[in-house]
Amino acid sequence: MPACQPRTTLHERLPKRTLAAVLIALAIFSRSISGQEPAAQKSTSDAFAAAKPLLEKHCHSCHGPEKQEGNLRLDTVQGLSIGGKSGAVLVPGKADESLLVTAVRRTDPSLEMPPEEKLPDTDVQVLIDWIQQGAKHPDGQIVLSPPKPPFDLEEARKFWAFQPLPLPLTSPDNSSHAIDHWVNSTLAAKGLNQNSPADKLTLIRRATFDLTGLPPSREEIQQFLNDESPDAYSRLIDRLLATPQYGERWARHWLDVVRYADSNGLDENIAHGNAWRYRNYVIESLNRDKPFDLFLREQIAGDLMIDDSTDEATRIERLTATGFLSLGPKVLAEGDETKMQLDIIDEQIDTIGKSMLGLTIGCARCHDHKFDPIAQADYYALSGIFQSTKTMESLKRIAKWNENSVATAADKQALEQHQAKINAKKSDIDTLIKTATASAGESKNVPEDQFPEDVRKQLTTLRDELKTLEQSVPELPTAMGVTDGEMSNGRILPRGNHLAPGRLMNRTIPVVLDRDGSFKAEDTHSGRLEFAQWMTSEKNPLTARVIANRVWRWHFSRGLVATADNFGKLGEAPSHRELLEWLSAELVRSGWSLKSLHRTIMLSETYQASSDTNAAAEALDPDNRWLWRWTPRRLEAESVRDSVLAATGVLDRSMGTSMLHVKNREFLFDHTSKDLTKYDSNRRSIYLPVIRNNLYDAMSLFDCTDGTVPNGDRASSTVASQALFFMNSGLVIQAADECASRLLQQFPDNEQQRVEQLFWQTLGRAPSVNESQAISSAIPKVTERLRSDGVAENDLARAVWTNIVQTLLMSNEFLYVK
Amino acid sequence: MFENSTSPFRSHRRSLLKSVAAGFGGVALNALCQQAAASEIGGSPFHFTPRAKRVIFMFMKGGPSQVDTFDYKPQLQKDDGKPLPFAKPRVQFAPTGNLLGSPWRFRQYGQSGIPVSELFPNVAQLVDDICFLNSVHGTNSAHGGAALKLHTGSDNFVRPSMGAWVSYGLGTENHNLPSFVTICPTLAHGGVNNWGSAFLPAQHQGIPLGVASQPATAAAVKYIANPKWSTAAQRTQLDLLRELNQQHLLQTADDVAMEARIHSYELAFRMQSEMPRLQDLTQETKETQDMYGLNEKMTENFARQCLMARRFAEAGVRFIQVTHSDSFVQWDQHGDLRKGHTKNAAEVDKPIAGLLRDLKQRGLLEDTLVLWGGEFGRTPTAQGTTDGRDHNPEGFTMWMAGGGVKGGTRYGATDEYGYYATEKPMHMHDVHATLLHLMGLDHKRLTYRYAGRDFRLTDVAGDVHHGVFS
Repeated sequence: MPACQPRTTLHERLPKRTLAAVLIALAIFSRSISGQEPAAQKSTSDAFAAAKPLLEKHCHSCHGPEKQEGNLRLDTVQGLSIGGKSGAVLVPGKADESLLVTAVRRTDPSLEMPPEEKLPDTDVQVLIDWIQQGAKHPDGQIVLSPPKPPFDLEEARKFWAFQPLPLPLTSPDNSSHAIDHWVNSTLAAKGLNQNSPADKLTLIRRATFDLTGLPPSREEIQQFLNDESPDAYSRLIDRLLATPQYGERWARHWLDVVRYADSNGLDENIAHGNAWRYRNYVIESLNRDKPFDLFLREQIAGDLMIDDSTDEATRIERLTATGFLSLGPKVLAEGDETKMQLDIIDEQIDTIGKSMLGLTIGCARCHDHKFDPIAQADYYALSGIFQSTKTMESLKRIAKWNENSVATAADKQALEQHQAKINAKKSDIDTLIKTATASAGESKNVPEDQFPEDVRKQLTTLRDELKTLEQSVPELPTAMGVTDGEMSNGRILPRGNHLAPGRLMNRTIPVVLDRDGSFKAEDTHSGRLEFAQWMTSEKNPLTARVIANRVWRWHFSRGLVATADNFGKLGEAPSHRELLEWLSAELVRSGWSLKSLHRTIMLSETYQASSDTNAAAEALDPDNRWLWRWTPRRLEAESVRDSVLAATGVLDRSMGTSMLHVKNREFLFDHTSKDLTKYDSNRRSIYLPVIRNNLYDAMSLFDCTDGTVPNGDRASSTVASQALFFMNSGLVIQAADECASRLLQQFPDNEQQRVEQLFWQTLGRAPSVNESQAISSAIPKVTERLRSDGVAENDLARAVWTNIVQTLLMSNEFLYVK
Repeated sequence: MFENSTSPFRSHRRSLLKSVAAGFGGVALNALCQQAAASEIGGSPFHFTPRAKRVIFMFMKGGPSQVDTFDYKPQLQKDDGKPLPFAKPRVQFAPTGNLLGSPWRFRQYGQSGIPVSELFPNVAQLVDDICFLNSVHGTNSAHGGAALKLHTGSDNFVRPSMGAWVSYGLGTENHNLPSFVTICPTLAHGGVNNWGSAFLPAQHQGIPLGVASQPATAAAVKYIANPKWSTAAQRTQLDLLRELNQQHLLQTADDVAMEARIHSYELAFRMQSEMPRLQDLTQETKETQDMYGLNEKMTENFARQCLMARRFAEAGVRFIQVTHSDSFVQWDQHGDLRKGHTKNAAEVDKPIAGLLRDLKQRGLLEDTLVLWGGEFGRTPTAQGTTDGRDHNPEGFTMWMAGGGVKGGTRYGATDEYGYYATEKPMHMHDVHATLLHLMGLDHKRLTYRYAGRDFRLTDVAGDVHHGVFS
């Protein structure tokens, strides 16, 4: 995690040098503008011969044989190669990137040399020429060695998560499902036994919630219970995987990981009016079972995966996918634009690190990672890739993120046609005026009020029509996303301070991950495409492990690596390492098919085990780490709301676009604190706006992520405000009321049938005798109570049933899957 | 009931209790947790002897001007209209012009003789109870970043708010109430992040009562009242619920989470009567109401917030925030300083003084830390065509009273014009470190492990300023 933001402390204030500091800071990010070309090519020895006396006269006294201030000496090839405390002192061939030049140019107030006074421009140019021509030295070649990693590279690569994936790994025991094989062998070693399978009623409820986030209908349950064929369960899984609700459910999981939101949040909360396109892209990709490796590549570098031959739908998809990089919260009013850009890049690195690699790379912004083998140099090498990526259109307060056009040919045609209509209307107006003028027999302008009345009327009509047309020009759709920008490498910023930039790093990935040292970002591109390709290649075992573990986490409420977003040293070691390796390899083998992974997991006995508890197992393994049972779980926020709507029959299953009440880039609420966002739709929760800084309370109360940082491991709390929500919220009461009204219509004369139907709708089963009795004896009490509260006789039945329905919605069984 | 089941001082049962973590209100299985507490804490949660038990933070949204209120600068008055003789900060929010003397007169008050401007005649009477932090500074010159920095210690990442940290460290004194409430907070500039718990367990987040756009009379916990059923009808409903849940529990065998949820409904039901009772200010005497200015139009709204704050403090809420913010950015006088600051100060002066007096007369001031301030101060240089001042995070004034701070003092100083903090500069991280210290918590030891790292309110910075303590 970008642990500690760079601090430009007040104590470091250097008011008199303000301008220079800003200039140098800006210069870090702009493509370096080379110094003047050397007037004439001199021989390399000439160049050094000219520079040598200057170095001797102005530098060697402090950076020579006697003294080495800042650990720097400039009188030897070795010294010139190693550089000093601030890093490399020069880059052969690149004067602009050389700290020596920065120092003598005096563009950075924290680095001005020689200290006494500025060298004459002619002398400065001599030094520039020498470096620009390759910094040739008679004693040997100046070679910049990459900074030595602050850890033992070989040792670091032995860490389990960095090791190559064993491909393919088969279960040594063919008689059982591979998953069960490893789970059972661990259980046996711990002296535990796995529960027997859950009953069918439990299984269909579990599987349906798990894959679709919704309860099964009464008909679906009946059908499954009646199906006695041996593959009934397997076909159930196939049916569920094929529903569009599957994508809606599992897209929400991925949105947690990519900190999806429909507003910026942080300081200036303006609308991500087009974020929904990314959201729907995720839903559709999952429903089509797009290979997960491709899915990831599109999100990192979709814009670089298209060319003129790419079909329209794919082009739009890939441009939309890069919204992943720009969805993060940004400090859009940051006055220091350099810092803003660094913060944005940092957020991107942090998100990519956690979401895809399970690594907290962001920790290395200000210092080498304290626990994982990621040096600050690695961080800034990687940051160059994102510095060379255009995420922002403008950094001026209030800054604007970049959006790419995702217009279809049809959109463009519609616009052209509209434009043509406008032009036609204009020419109609011109013609009318000309005709009227001509018929007046005058050669010059005739005031319009002298036109005949019918012409004037016609003109007014035409102009009104023109106005309507002009006001309804279709907007070409755009999507949040990135493109390649100006190529620029990252400089190491000691303590993250951008006012004192250090050595320049080539764009690459962290050295510990670049096992064969083959990663190369082309000079002409940001390197995002190469990064994306590496990310999903066999050279990188982390990605497959991280997503396989995530899928397991979302099925079982706990990952095999419990810290789903952190596979580093401070993450937890896997509880079942072979199992995780096998699942990861299996995922890759299947062509990165998530649906295949779901099937594999859900067909295991481990997944189908009952959730019953027993004291002995509870004592040995209270957290169910060893999987002796299926861990019951509370519904996630979205499922809470969706289930209330589904159970009461009011859920709208159509797909949504944007539900924001404001346009793209407008304030959700500024100083008024009045949030006019509406959540009164009956669509599934994934389509409701995610407003950072003010999440919809029906979501935040039930531990929905806040959309600001990757979170693949949601909490599941039990707090009294959740009870208040079920007791008092309009959402629950209205749904209960609607349901009551339907029940009364459906079964006007039969209370017992009503009770039965209510249980099926809310809990997916028939009521027990005791439960029926409890309800029957409660009804007269509630009736009496409401009557004495003044409810009119005509409204009484509906009110009583609203009260009863609400009670079922409040019940534990409704809220938990077992 | 707002049991602090995941405080840093207990760990063994954390995994068990994580799934039933308490909150507003935590339903951490009273009996279970208290046993856990008794057997596992085995000592106090404090790192030091606490001087304060609770905090009332009065947030002045927009950035009150230090040189027009509590940081008197005679040189500024003298050099009115002249250029600032030293450089302005590297990053400024907007350009400003020459020095602008304060339009308000200052007078010395109390035994300490601390000068206060005529904007705060009532608070001025209490200077001997107040420690003015004249050298506070921050890092961000925009409202959003600065407000986030003040509330959470971070302006570019979402981090737990200081109230959430205090709740995490100390829990609540009243198990039927949340440990952290914020009255009429603003949704702009950080919004919920300013009272959120981020990665800390959910029970530590601040519970908002209303928002800034509503009058304090409408401030209420969301869903605290039922729109359809009478209390009696709800009781009948909860009785049936209990019966159904008990039957379910028999089938699922003992499950901690299920039991916790059953309790949560009973707690919620009790809270429905408890919260409105605490917010009912008609229970206060006329004298008390008048002391806060509850019956005057100008002061009514903020008085209501302050009086509620006292009642929550008395009832055992650990961290209470009140916010002075209208539908604009209340204290943000880029222009019309005279008019704006006059109105703003008039709205809060009497309520603040009332609160301090009331706490004092009830013996509560001793262990209640009152913190006052905005997200930054304002420039001593002029902005705009009328009288105006720009944002200034470089040096401004916050103040503390009660809870172990040294009254009648000015701590630290700005330069002769009030632009930069120069003497004993106190970064916002230092304010946080000092505040936690007063609560008996070491800001370096109050940590939470998340995403592979131990996090603190003060990140990797923060110094405790002992000079503030009595």
